[in-house]
Amino acid sequence: MNKRTYILQFLAIYWVLIAFSLQASNQVPAPPQDHPIALTGGTIYTVSGETIENGTILFEDGKITAIGTTVDLPEGTEVIDISGKRVYPSLIDANTVLGLVEVASVRATRDYSETGDITPEAHAGTAFNPDSELLPVTRANGIALAMSVPTGGLISGTSALMMLDGWTWEEMALKTPAGLHVRWPSMVPPKKPSKETPRYLKNIEKIKTTFAQARAYAAAAKNASEQSTHESSARWEAMIPVVEGKIPVFVHANSIRQIQAAVSWAAAEKLKMILVGGYDAWRVTDLLKTYDIPVIITGTHKLPRRRWEAYNTPFSLPKKLHDAGVKFCIGGSGFAFSTAHTRNLPYHAATAAAHGLPAMEALKAVTLYPAEIIGAAERVGSLESGKDATLIVTNGDPLEIMTQIESVYIQGRKIDVSSRHTDLYEKYQEKYRQKNIPQQESE
Amino acid sequence: MITLFLRCKTNRQLSALLLLCLLLGSSLSISAQTTTPTTGLRDNAPTYHALTNARIVTAPGKEIPKGVILLKAGIIKAVGEKIEIPADARVWDYSGRTIYPGLIESYSHLGIAKPDPKAEKGPEHTLAHWNPFVLAARNVLENFQPKEKDISALRAKGYTSALVVPRQGIFRGSSALVSLGKTIGKAQIINPEAAQHISFRKGISQSGYPNSLMGSIALIRQILLDAQWYQSAQAAYRQNPTQPAPAADEALLALQGVINNKIPVIFEVATENNLLRALTIAREFNLSINVKGSGREYFHIAALPHPQLNTLILPTDFPDKLALDTPESSLDLSLLQLQHWEQAPTNPAKIAAAGVPFALTKPDFAKELPRAKTAGLTEKDALAALTTTPAKMLGVDNILGSIAVGKRAHLLVSDKGLFEKGREILDVWVDGERFQIKDQTALDVSGKWQASLNFPNASHSLALSFSGKAAKTKGKIVRDSLEIPLKNFSNTLNQIRFSTSGDSLGHPGTVGLSATVIDGKMTGIGDLPDGQTFTWTATWEAAPEAAEKEEHSEEEKVDKTPGNYMGIGAYFQRGTPEQPAGVLVKNATIWTSGPQGTLENADIHIVKGKIAAVGQSLSGGKNDLVIDAAGKHITPGLIDAHSHAAVDGSVNEGGQAVSAEVRIRDVIDQFDIAMYRQLAGGLTVINILHGSANPIGGQNAVLKLRWGADAEGLLLKEAPEGIKFALGENVKQSNWGDNFTTRYPQTRMGVQQIIRDRFKAAREYQDHWTKFSSQKKKRGVIPPRRDLELEALLEILNGERFIHCHSYRQDEILMLVRVAEEFGFRIATFQHVLEGYKVADELATHNFGASTFSDWWAYKFEVFDAIPHNGALMHHAGVNVSFNSDSNELSRRMNTEAAKAVKYGGVSPADALKFVTINPAQQLGIDQHTGSLEVGKDADFAIWNGPPLSTYSSCEQTWIEGRKYFDIADDREMQAAVIAERARIIEKYRKTATSGGKGKMPAKRAKIHHSHHWHDDDE
Repeated sequence: MNKRTYILQFLAIYWVLIAFSLQASNQVPAPPQDHPIALTGGTIYTVSGETIENGTILFEDGKITAIGTTVDLPEGTEVIDISGKRVYPSLIDANTVLGLVEVASVRATRDYSETGDITPEAHAGTAFNPDSELLPVTRANGIALAMSVPTGGLISGTSALMMLDGWTWEEMALKTPAGLHVRWPSMVPPKKPSKETPRYLKNIEKIKTTFAQARAYAAAAKNASEQSTHESSARWEAMIPVVEGKIPVFVHANSIRQIQAAVSWAAAEKLKMILVGGYDAWRVTDLLKTYDIPVIITGTHKLPRRRWEAYNTPFSLPKKLHDAGVKFCIGGSGFAFSTAHTRNLPYHAATAAAHGLPAMEALKAVTLYPAEIIGAAERVGSLESGKDATLIVTNGDPLEIMTQIESVYIQGRKIDVSSRHTDLYEKYQEKYRQKNIPQQESE
Repeated sequence: MITLFLRCKTNRQLSALLLLCLLLGSSLSISAQTTTPTTGLRDNAPTYHALTNARIVTAPGKEIPKGVILLKAGIIKAVGEKIEIPADARVWDYSGRTIYPGLIESYSHLGIAKPDPKAEKGPEHTLAHWNPFVLAARNVLENFQPKEKDISALRAKGYTSALVVPRQGIFRGSSALVSLGKTIGKAQIINPEAAQHISFRKGISQSGYPNSLMGSIALIRQILLDAQWYQSAQAAYRQNPTQPAPAADEALLALQGVINNKIPVIFEVATENNLLRALTIAREFNLSINVKGSGREYFHIAALPHPQLNTLILPTDFPDKLALDTPESSLDLSLLQLQHWEQAPTNPAKIAAAGVPFALTKPDFAKELPRAKTAGLTEKDALAALTTTPAKMLGVDNILGSIAVGKRAHLLVSDKGLFEKGREILDVWVDGERFQIKDQTALDVSGKWQASLNFPNASHSLALSFSGKAAKTKGKIVRDSLEIPLKNFSNTLNQIRFSTSGDSLGHPGTVGLSATVIDGKMTGIGDLPDGQTFTWTATWEAAPEAAEKEEHSEEEKVDKTPGNYMGIGAYFQRGTPEQPAGVLVKNATIWTSGPQGTLENADIHIVKGKIAAVGQSLSGGKNDLVIDAAGKHITPGLIDAHSHAAVDGSVNEGGQAVSAEVRIRDVIDQFDIAMYRQLAGGLTVINILHGSANPIGGQNAVLKLRWGADAEGLLLKEAPEGIKFALGENVKQSNWGDNFTTRYPQTRMGVQQIIRDRFKAAREYQDHWTKFSSQKKKRGVIPPRRDLELEALLEILNGERFIHCHSYRQDEILMLVRVAEEFGFRIATFQHVLEGYKVADELATHNFGASTFSDWWAYKFEVFDAIPHNGALMHHAGVNVSFNSDSNELSRRMNTEAAKAVKYGGVSPADALKFVTINPAQQLGIDQHTGSLEVGKDADFAIWNGPPLSTYSSCEQTWIEGRKYFDIADDREMQAAVIAERARIIEKYRKTATSGGKGKMPAKRAKIHHSHHWHDDDE
C-alpha cells in the first residue's frame, strides 16, 4: 500500500489536542501604509518591463506611484537606501493549502477537504487561519501572496488569493473567490474488462451533471418570479459565478488522458479553464494553445511518473511549455503535507532554469505569470505604477537558495519577517550563550 | 480415502506410508495390494494390455519408430520393436499414433482451495509453530479435495501425475505427488511427502510477523537455524535426560529432512531478484534447492547455473497482449514491460543454454510452447521439462518420467508429434488404465465423392468435397460452377451428419443429411425444409487436392530480429563502465571537502580509480583520458545518509517492535531506476535504512551507486554494519489510527524501556554462550539457541554495529544518549534529529553525529519545533552534521540542500557542502575511502556546470572509482535509444499480435513506492 494512503486511512481518528501549543503566531500584522516610502539605490526587477539599475521605487497608500532612475519624492517620503540590494515583486504561489492546515498529520488542524464529491460551496477564505505559524515562515522567503485551494472530491470548492499578513482573512484576501477547483478523475482504464461503466466515466458524468444543474439553477435564479419552483441550495448558489463566467475553472489533471478529456469538457461547456498539474501537458501543447488554456505547473521537484521517461522530465516541463508557447506558471504541489515547505517555491523555478528555461522566464513563472493566470495582474505580479506595493528586497536573486530576503512589503506595509523559526533559533542561541558553549565559526 | 493421511500426523508415520507406497509402486507381479476390505464382488478386470504399431518416444530424444508396449497391473512389462504379444493381453492398435511418457505437472494447486482473504486469522492447524506462517509440519493432503472435472481437465492435456502444492505460509509444508486416475484415493498417491515448500510470501494477506520481504528472509534464516539447533538439542537431551527438555516442535522436526538435504525443497519466488535470494539462503545452509520461478529468470542468466540450484520450475504464462490501442496507452507501458513481452518466451531456452535442469508448469501447447520453440527451446528439452526432469526433481525417476520396464504405466497417445501444430491427444493411460480423450471413431472422409440425392420429385447428381478430418471436417457441394458449403458437420461412430442450403436444389431453406459410411460408400437419408424425407448415396472418387498452403505459420510471423538495445529496462546497462588507467580533469574549481579546501583553476589526477593528486597544473600519464573542465566545478560524489531507494518490498518490518534480525542487504533491488536518477544529481553513496516503525528496526546497507552491478556489487563493502533505531510518534504508532493502540510501546517512556530490555537480553545471551563455550565437556549439554535478533544487538554493544536512530524531540534524543551511556555504546547518527539544536551540546560532547533534514517541519506534531537553522546550530556547537533526503526525489538535489545551511545560520559554502560529502562519510565510517577529494581515496566525484550550491547548476558527470556512471550527453543518447527501442517493440507487436481483447499483459515490476507522505508527490 502506498504510504500516503496508508497514513491517510489511519488518520481518520480523533486527536487529543488539549495540550496543543498551536496558538497565534507571535508576529504582529503591520499597520496600513501612512506615509510615502521610497526605496533608492537598488536594482529594480520590474519583471514586466526593464530592470532598472540604481533606481528608485516610490509607493504611497499601498500603491506603487513611481519607478525610475529619477523620481520626484513627495514631502514626508521615508527614503530607504537599498544600495547593492534588489527589489522584486512578491513571489506568488498559485497552488497551496496555506491557512487551511497547520500540521497535516493532526486531523484537528485540517480544513482543506470537505466531505463529499461535489462541494462547490466550500470556500478557502472562510477557514483561512490568519494566525497560522506557516504564514510568517512562508512570507519571510519572499512569498507574500498565495492562492489557498481546497482539495478533495471532484469539485473541491473555491480558492482565495491571499496576502500573507493581516488581522483577519477578509483583510488578507486579494481575490476571492479566485476560481472553482475541479479535480479531474484519474483515468486509468480498469485492469479487467468489465461490462460496468468504469468509475472514472461515472465521475466525469457527475461533473457534467453538476454543471448542467448549476446552469438550470442560475437560469431560474435570474428569471426568479413569484412562482419560482426552486428552493435555495448553497451548492448551486456557489456555482452561479462559475456558470456565468465570472470566475474561472481550475481543473487539476496530470495524465494525458485527463488533460484531453478535461479540455474537451471545458470547451463544450464554454468555460474559462486553467489546467493545474499538467505533468503530460507538453505532449498536448497544440491542444492547450488552440483552446487557450494556461497551466499551473505544480512544482518541478518531482520524480518522473514513468520509469522510462528522462530523469529530468518534471524539471524540463516548464521549458517545454515555454518553447511551445503555452502560457504557464509554477506553483506548489497543493498537498497538505508540503504546505509547510511553500517557502521553497522559488527553487522549483530555478530548477526549471537549470534545465533550459530562460532565467527571466523562471522569475516570471513565480511572479507575473501566476498573477495573470489567476486574474490578479492588475494588482500584483510585477512592479508597475498603479499596482500594489507588494514587493520584496533581497541581497541577490531570490531563486538562489543562498539569497537572503531582507524585507517584505504588502501593499506598502512593512512586514515582520521573523517567524516561529527565527524565534526558536534565537531562543536556543541564548541557551548556548548562557552555558558558555562556544559557537564554532565556519572556515 | 484421504482421511488416512489426515491422521498421519507424525513424520515417522508419513515416512512409513511413503515407503509402503514406493514398495507398492515397484511391485511387478501382482496387482496393487490394498488394506481396504472389498464390498460386493471383487473387480478383477484383466489388466494386461498390448499397445501396438505405435511410434514410441520412450524418453526425451529416444524413440522406437514402430513398437509395442506391454502393460500389466499398471506397470510397464515390456517395451520394444519386437515384443511377443501374450495371448491374454488386450491389443490396442495404435497405428500412426505416437506414444509418449505421461506428462508430470510439476506445480499445481489441484484440489486445494484458495485461502479466504477475509479469514480473520492465519491458517490454523493443531501443530502450530509460534509463527502462524511456519507450516512445515503440515501435509497438503490434509486439505486435498480434488474435483473430478479438474482431474480430467489435466488428463485431457496429457498429464498423468501432478504435484499438489500447499498455498499458504512461509514454510508451506509438504506437497504430494498424485496420479491423475479416475478418482483419487490412496492408490493414486505416488508420494504423500514429495517436497517441502518455502515461499517469501505468506500467500494470504495477513498482518503479523513477517510483513515484509526482508522479514520473511530473516524468519526463514532463523527457522533453519532453529531446526539445526533442534537436532543438536534433542540429541543432547537424549544423551542426558536429566536436564530440562527442549520443547517439542513439530515444525522443526519436519524440517530435519530439509536441513539434512533428505527431502526435496521447492522455493517459490515471484520475482527475478528473489531467485537469487533463495539461492543465497541455500548457500548459507548448504541446501540443494529447486525453485519455482517467476518467468523472469533470464534477468539473472549470468548467475546460472548455481551450485545450490537443482531444478527450476518455469511458468510459461508469457504475456501476449500489450495495451497499445492508442498513443496514450503506450505511454504507460514501461520499457521493461515491452521487453518482457518480447523476451519472456526466451526464458526456457536461455535456462536450457545455461545448463540448468528445468521443468515447465502449465504450458499452453498451442500458444506458449510454439513461442518458446521459436525462441530456441528444443522439443527434447520441452519434453524433458514435462517428464524426466520433474521426475528426477521429485526423486521418482525410477517409477515415472519415461517409458521403461518396471515404471508405472503413465502414457499419452497423440495423433502426431506432441509439439506439432494441431496435434491431438487421443488417449491417456494412468497406472495401466486407459482414459479416452478424443473420440477416435471419426472417419477420414476427405476427398471427392459422387453423390446422388433422391428428392421426392427429382434426383440430383452432384459432387461432394470434404477436407480436414474427424471433428474438424469441412465440406461443400460442388455442382457445375456452384459451391454450397456444408454446415453443422459431425463425424462419429461411422456416421457423418451435416446440413446445407436447399436454395439451389429447388427447396429453399435448410436441408439436413446423414449417412453411414462403410468402405468408400455413403448410404444416407435426409429431410427437406417442408418436412419431406429422401434417401441419398455417395461413392468415393478421388483423394483430396493438395491442401492449400496454410497462411504464414506462427513461427514465420515472429520477427526474430533482436533489438540493438542491450539494457534491462530503461537506462540500465548491466556490468561495469570502463575504468581508464588514468584520468586528468583540468582547469576546474575543485571543492575538495578536505584539507586543501576549494581550489580555483585546478586539476585532479586519477590513477586506477584512486585520486593520485589534486592541485594546480598537474600532468598525467601519456595515455590518460584528459577532460577539460574549464568553467566547471568538481565536488566529491555526494552522500545521502538516509535513503530508502533500491529496496524490494516494504522498508519496514512492522510485525514486531524489535526487528534487529532483518537486513536491508537481503532485499537490494539492483534494477531500481531511483539509483540512476540519483547519479544524475551527483550522488554516489546512499545509506539505505529500515523504516521507522520499530524502536529497534532492521540492519541498514550502504551502497555505492554502481548502476549496472548486481546487489552484491552495489554494496560498499568497507562500510561498517549498522542498524536503524526509531523513537517518538512512529514507533508509538501515534498516527496509525484506533486499531494500533496495544503494541508495546505506546509512549516515549515505553520506548526507553523496550530498548533497555533488549540490550539486557543481549548481554544475557552473551553470558549463555560464554558459559556454554567454557564448558569442557559439551557432550549431552543442550547448546544455547542462536538468536539473530540478539546477535545484532550484541554487535552494537561490542562496537561492531553503528546505530542510526530516527528521532525528533529533544527529550527522546536525550533518552537514547543516556541509554548509550548506561550500556556503553556509541550512536553513529541521530537521524532527522529535528530538535537536535536544543541539545546540541550533548551531541557534541558524546561525538554523536546528526543527519538532519535541511528545512522540513510541521508534517507531524513532533516536528512543530523543527527549524531550518538546526543544521547550522548543531554545526556551530561542534556536532558532525549531515543533510539527508529520506526521499528518492530529494536525494537528486543534495547539493542545493547543502545551500540551505548557508541561508539559515550562515555556514560557509565549503562547510555546507561537507554536510553532503565528508560529514556523512564520517558518520557512516567510510571517510577513509570517499567523501572528499584527497589523495588515496576513491575517485568518486561529480562535475557541475556551475557552483554546486547554486540552484541554477546541474550535474554533468558522476564518477565512482574512476568510472563514469553518468554523463548528461550519454543520457541524451540513451533517452533516444529508449524511445527507439520502445518503438521497435511496439511495431513488432503490432505486426504479430493476433488477439484483440483477451490476453495477458506483462505485469509491472512490483515496486512499492517509498514516498513519505509529506513529499511533493502526486502518485
